[in-house]
Amino acid sequence: MSASRRLDALRAAGVEFVAGVPCSYLARFFAGCAELPTNDFLPAVREDHALAACAGAWLGGRRVAAAMQNSGLGYCLEVLTSLHLMYRLPLPMLVSDRGADSDYEEHRILGSRVRRLLTLFDIPWRDARAGAEDDDARWLVETSERDGGPAVLLVGKEADS
Amino acid sequence: MTRAEAVALALSLLDDDDIVVAADGAIAREAYRALDRPRTFYMLGSMGQVASIALGLAMSRMERVVALDGDGNLLMGFGGLAMVGGLRPANLHHLVLDNGCYATTGGQPALSGKVDLAAAAAGAGYSWARRCFSPEHARMGMETWLAAPGPALLDLVVDARDPDPAPRIPMSPEQLAARFRIAVAGG
Repeated sequence: MSASRRLDALRAAGVEFVAGVPCSYLARFFAGCAELPTNDFLPAVREDHALAACAGAWLGGRRVAAAMQNSGLGYCLEVLTSLHLMYRLPLPMLVSDRGADSDYEEHRILGSRVRRLLTLFDIPWRDARAGAEDDDARWLVETSERDGGPAVLLVGKEADS
Repeated sequence: MTRAEAVALALSLLDDDDIVVAADGAIAREAYRALDRPRTFYMLGSMGQVASIALGLAMSRMERVVALDGDGNLLMGFGGLAMVGGLRPANLHHLVLDNGCYATTGGQPALSGKVDLAAAAAGAGYSWARRCFSPEHARMGMETWLAAPGPALLDLVVDARDPDPAPRIPMSPEQLAARFRIAVAGG
């Protein structure tokens, strides 16, 4: 058991390697990651590098997941399209759902368009539900492996990490 | 020494179980032409991500992971250098084929002539980092680099000219990834 129910759920669903850049909405998740063995967690310096490292770990035979604030998705488009989608590499992604009207201004422009952005690239997504961490994690891992590509769980402030 | 000659020389010095990540563009095509091996991952896009992909592999495998990178590619994803230096995987060996320009797109000059990539790697935390200017020392430089404790980076200066461009790789991305993962991890 870690500090994070979502991390525990992903590990139970088979995830062995996590890379990401923190978001305050995912604070507990990243606190749990910090306790993992050195080779199981990469604290990435930018979101696209986290995704590329996940590609490497998957190609090396492991099940992976990435975690980030939704503001990092812009950096990720090139890697998502020319690595994960093109080579068909599974990638479960935990992405914070910033940008509601009550959120800070810097989150609103991208945050209000994230679902449309994912839909534009045919990336499956689902809203995380508090108390349904195991089901959310299973959906995320199974969808990414079935499609051979990214799948996104959007984690809102109330959904808890 | 052309970049293609340096790529071929590096591949000839590797062990059979070494894992290779070949940078998108000319380097991957040259690696494929010189010595195709299932344990080489050929990048077709995602410029700037060579070190990050290699790091994910190095954290997941016991075997040596060799990244064949370009100078413009490394500069685009300079944060990858920080991650390798910070995580310090002992099995990661990083070769920069440094022609000082963006050869794949027509030879536009890159900033690598003004940025000391080996010093940057050492500053980031690589265990070993050197620059090699002279083609006659390339083989010795590579042998020393491969024997050095990882993470180790060799910044190898190569010709900017590209007299014999390698053709595109005649496999689909999906085939390349599946073949690589089966060769490295059994599927």
